[in-house]
Amino acid sequence: MAPEPNKASGSGSGGATKNDAPLKAPPSKKKEEKKDDDLSEEDLALKQQLELYVERVQDPEPGIQKLALESLRQEIRSSTSSMTSVPKPLKFLRPHYGTLKAHYEKMADIDLKKYLADILSVLALTMSAEGERESLKYRLLGSEGDIGSWGHEYVRNLAGEIAQEYTKRQSEEASIDDLIELVQQIVAFHMKHNAEPEAVDLLMEVEDLDILSKHVDKTNFKRTCLYLTSAAKYLPGPDDLVVLKIAYEIYLKFGEYSSALQIALFLDNLQYIKQVYTSCDDVQQKKQFSYILARHGTAFELDDDITSDDVHREVLEEIINNTKLSEGYLTLARDIEVMEPKSPEDIYKAHLLEGRASAGASVDSARQNLAATFVNAFVNAGFGQDKLMTPPTDSSSGGSANWLFKNKDHGKTSAGASLGMILMWDVDSGLAQLDKYFHCNDNYAIAGALLGVGIVNCGIRNDCDPALALLDDFVDKEDSSVRIGAIMGLGIAYAGTQNEQICSKLSLILNDAKAPPDVIAFAAISLGLVFVGSCNEEVAQAMIFALMDRSESELQEPLTRFLPLGLGLLYLGKQERVEATAEVSKTFNEKIRKYCDMTLLSCAYAGTGNVLKVQNLLGHCAEHLEKGETHQGPAVLGIAMIAMAEELGLEMAIRSLEHLLQYGEQNIRRAVPLALGLLCISNPKVNVMDTLSRLSHDTDSEVAMAAVISLGLIGAGTNNARIAGMLRNLSSYYYKDANLLFCVRIAQGLVHLGKGLLTLNPYHSDRFLLSPTALAGLTSMLHACLDMKAIILGKHHYVLYFLVLAMQPRMLLTVDENLKPLSVPVRVGQAVDVVGQAGRPKTITGFQTHSTPVLLAAGDRAELATEKYIPLSPILEGFVILKENPEYREDQ
Amino acid sequence: MGQGPSGGLNRQLPGDRKQDGSDKKDKKFEPAAPPARVGRKQRKQKGPEAAARLPTVTPLTKCKLRLLKLERIKDYLLMEEEFVANQERLKPQEEKAEEDRSKVDDLRGSPMSVGNLEELIDENHAIVSSSVGPEYYVGILSFVDKDQLEPGCAILMHNKVLSVVGLLQDEVDPMVSVMKVEKAPLESYADIGGLDAQIQEIKEAVELPLTHPELYEDIGIKPPKGVILYGEPGTGKTLLAKAVANSTSATFLRVVGSELIQKYLGDGPKLVRELFRVADDLSPSIVFIDEIDAVGTKRYDAHSGGEREIQRTMLELLNQLDGFDSRGDVKVILATNRIESLDPALLRPGRIDRKIEFPLPDIKTRRRIFQIHTARMTLADDVNLEEFVMTKDEFSGADIKAICTEAGLLALRERRMKVTHTDFKKAKEKVMFKKKEGVPEGLYM
Repeated sequence: MAPEPNKASGSGSGGATKNDAPLKAPPSKKKEEKKDDDLSEEDLALKQQLELYVERVQDPEPGIQKLALESLRQEIRSSTSSMTSVPKPLKFLRPHYGTLKAHYEKMADIDLKKYLADILSVLALTMSAEGERESLKYRLLGSEGDIGSWGHEYVRNLAGEIAQEYTKRQSEEASIDDLIELVQQIVAFHMKHNAEPEAVDLLMEVEDLDILSKHVDKTNFKRTCLYLTSAAKYLPGPDDLVVLKIAYEIYLKFGEYSSALQIALFLDNLQYIKQVYTSCDDVQQKKQFSYILARHGTAFELDDDITSDDVHREVLEEIINNTKLSEGYLTLARDIEVMEPKSPEDIYKAHLLEGRASAGASVDSARQNLAATFVNAFVNAGFGQDKLMTPPTDSSSGGSANWLFKNKDHGKTSAGASLGMILMWDVDSGLAQLDKYFHCNDNYAIAGALLGVGIVNCGIRNDCDPALALLDDFVDKEDSSVRIGAIMGLGIAYAGTQNEQICSKLSLILNDAKAPPDVIAFAAISLGLVFVGSCNEEVAQAMIFALMDRSESELQEPLTRFLPLGLGLLYLGKQERVEATAEVSKTFNEKIRKYCDMTLLSCAYAGTGNVLKVQNLLGHCAEHLEKGETHQGPAVLGIAMIAMAEELGLEMAIRSLEHLLQYGEQNIRRAVPLALGLLCISNPKVNVMDTLSRLSHDTDSEVAMAAVISLGLIGAGTNNARIAGMLRNLSSYYYKDANLLFCVRIAQGLVHLGKGLLTLNPYHSDRFLLSPTALAGLTSMLHACLDMKAIILGKHHYVLYFLVLAMQPRMLLTVDENLKPLSVPVRVGQAVDVVGQAGRPKTITGFQTHSTPVLLAAGDRAELATEKYIPLSPILEGFVILKENPEYREDQ
Repeated sequence: MGQGPSGGLNRQLPGDRKQDGSDKKDKKFEPAAPPARVGRKQRKQKGPEAAARLPTVTPLTKCKLRLLKLERIKDYLLMEEEFVANQERLKPQEEKAEEDRSKVDDLRGSPMSVGNLEELIDENHAIVSSSVGPEYYVGILSFVDKDQLEPGCAILMHNKVLSVVGLLQDEVDPMVSVMKVEKAPLESYADIGGLDAQIQEIKEAVELPLTHPELYEDIGIKPPKGVILYGEPGTGKTLLAKAVANSTSATFLRVVGSELIQKYLGDGPKLVRELFRVADDLSPSIVFIDEIDAVGTKRYDAHSGGEREIQRTMLELLNQLDGFDSRGDVKVILATNRIESLDPALLRPGRIDRKIEFPLPDIKTRRRIFQIHTARMTLADDVNLEEFVMTKDEFSGADIKAICTEAGLLALRERRMKVTHTDFKKAKEKVMFKKKEGVPEGLYM
């Protein structure tokens, strides 16, 4: 006979049982009873045997009872449970469930009663009516033996019933001690059998995750924590924090410090960060922590608890202060052999266009030069050399000045600042080269140099604060362009540092009634950047006063939008903590009230994936305004800012934005491309690319401009040939329209950002962590783009330099224990989501083997291809320290 | 490049930018060339469906994370619904849409002729051919979705100027749509006597991967792509397939091998392609090909074009089973009684992983089959089925059915209300006689 006899009746249930849904009775129940008589012989024998046992169980003699129960138990356990059908004994015992139940009530012997309860509990698996939870009931009455001996299916069913029972008891406020006892058993069973997700699910249901830490061990803690962290993104309210905290504790317990640090950073909890540092005593590991902190862009002070050794502290501080970033970046550039500077013409590739491209030279050469300045800055960002601003010294001393002075007025500011971007992260030579412009008598050039100083120092911290020392004097100068340059420079250089000096300095300007409105606007945004996500009361007060002081006409100014934005940045990602300020904003002048409201909401919930807030924002976008209000732009951007937290929300938000395009008025349609750009930043998804390409031909020129800029953003730093081709075609399509051509040029520059070595994505560490300063920079730039004509195409094109805050090399650079670059083979491939998968699944697919340093595209993941080294961080991104593997032996 | 003579045909083209739906009537800006977006090669996406596709949710196992993720998607969909409903309420677009539609209908003209797209020249022009013969260089009207145009597709043309005014979608071969089993067969697993191992195997290989893919994921294996059922005639291969069709909720497509042989060259392989394409579209689905030996015989030097064509059909089948494109939720059941004559390539692991043999029934199974078939018959008291069950003769399931039917007919002939043992005896002899091709039973014993 076949190993597992199957009957038609089995088809209805079996493998279909779910974790938290009780088993349903097979649909073909009646049919089965009718056909009872045509069973095969063995089945019949088994059936009769079982009937006999059932009869004997009801025997008055305890000895016989016991024997019968034993044999029943044996029968049930020995039946091989198949995933396609209900085990035979269970099936044949179905008719006797009622009698056994009745008998149970009458039984006197405690031991036997427990025995019978066990069997009833198993039988209830298929018999119990939905919602009765009899399986659980009898389990609690039973002998509490090994839970796993009845098979997985039984345990799963029990877990489901516990969850239901728990919610019921919660509402009745009854005791749950007996349940927790059982939960312990089940969790232990699941954890032992590679079913971590089920264990975690059950504990989440009974809201007692602390039990988990008792049951994790070396083999399963990684999978458990991975499940916890990825579930945290989707859990509502305070639950997610609880889950992350547990994951953090488990990581710490098993010495997986880097992962613990990542969770600490996600929670933005300085206490935890410190704890990670103090609980680990490996110096190399601490260096790795410092690299992670540096990438995240948090200002973290090392105090004496962390390391008492001065030498070590110096090394760690050096890493946290990002001083080696430039060096690492140039190592990467040399390895990939892209040191050769590129001119804007190399990027435009006009020779690939047919016909009329060259005819464009006739229009507005100042605009063209300005565009070339930006393209040059973006493309050669951080390389320290280019063809316009830093020509070889031997040719002529005034080469760079020449280019600078080829720009008109405010164009010179951007040109000066572009030098800063070319020398980005390289403080020493950057300051030396910018120095000469401080002494010229052109205010615009000075402003550019000041901004350049800020850009050079972006993300780099230094004890002697050269940026502050240089810029400080210029903040209070007469000329407003110089002041703006200095203020913006400070904002960029000290983003996220919460520097008190800057606070006092810029707060004064904010509340200075005589200061011109544009200076105030930039002061607000710079303060917002410096104190990003800090919820600083003092700064918030200053900004609120500044907003209240604005006259009606000043509120109409395009740049005024930076004031609410600055305020919003203070609460970036801080969720509820914004509420007090949001209340205050309701008292503002109605011209700005709603704008402020939207900005605060979107900033506070940025990167949280909070669906309710997205709904709120969508609600605002659904209105059709007649009075020309502008608050819908930030609302659309807000949707992107909130939804970018996780992949699903991101894709669904793209769908929602499509609807906005379809139904929205012009002011919404102008913001949609920018929102798309933010969602897919440095990650050119084909469908988004198509949408943007369609919009780039829109009849409304502002929609087209936003779409073109966004094309640049989604392709930023990817060298994506398809986008580059689209932009080339656009450049010939718009050759007559200077404004659009300017946007196309900027986008071209962005696509080739850092010759393809940089990314603008604020998310890092496997898309887990969001760098607040990077997002703040992006948001500032995008808000400026909401009024393209007045800001980017007007005098304030240098707001594009806010992007520098988000620029990071998209590299993997492995270093040895002395922090010297070390070339090892790595596999780079598309990341695979392995959460909740059994075994040791592959984390990447379609990989190629390279040797470090390598570039990582969006959605790529790397893993070491050699056993010789052990990485000190589980996520191979940015700088990773490698330790020699002591167990490695060279293959002969 | 392709900027050929634009001819006089496309003068009536309306404004190029209509498709954005937000056409502001500013006449001063003369739109230049339309976007050079759509390349010659077409992406393999199915128009609006591809855009509306929801993101995949990764842990396939049933767990809370999956629930949370699915709920997140649901939340967003609800928001979309709310938003769209609001917008529709705020500015009802029906009238406008109605107006637009009638305008489009005017432009299309009536009747429209059906033609074939031969080649896309540029954004707005294409070479088309109609069934009568000549090919024309015509314009494509702006409201035609150019993403879906691809060379070779069926299009609608204006009856006078022959410009492309629409395209015929979903050109599924009618042959294939017939194969879809709309009404489930009546036979269920309960009607199969014995074959327990076979049922279990087919369930594990075909049904479970479609209903519970996570089980396979958990274990870390790829479920089998298909099974082949083989065995003597009348052992229940088709019956089992019917039972599968009866119990599954997946789309069930059934073909007989001989249907795949077509009159014209290339039609057979095309049909196979279509069959699997439809199966993919309607996935999860099960494709059942009965009598596969009609196309799947071993390859050898074929002498006639017909034979070669049959082999080509099989090659296409091979490719569809495990070719370059992966078929997701399509499972294949093949059935034959001559497995030894099938091409080995067809049966290699990766194509058809599971071979399920259907043996002649043993005594126990025979008894079950007799029981099934006699369950609805009125038997006389003297009937002793055991005699037939225990006989040494080789019966298949079909033979047993035939015996029962024959016995019933004999009783009917004599207007008896009950079937007697003698009826069965005669029936058995008759059936065995027929089975042995006219050689009476017992002649060589």
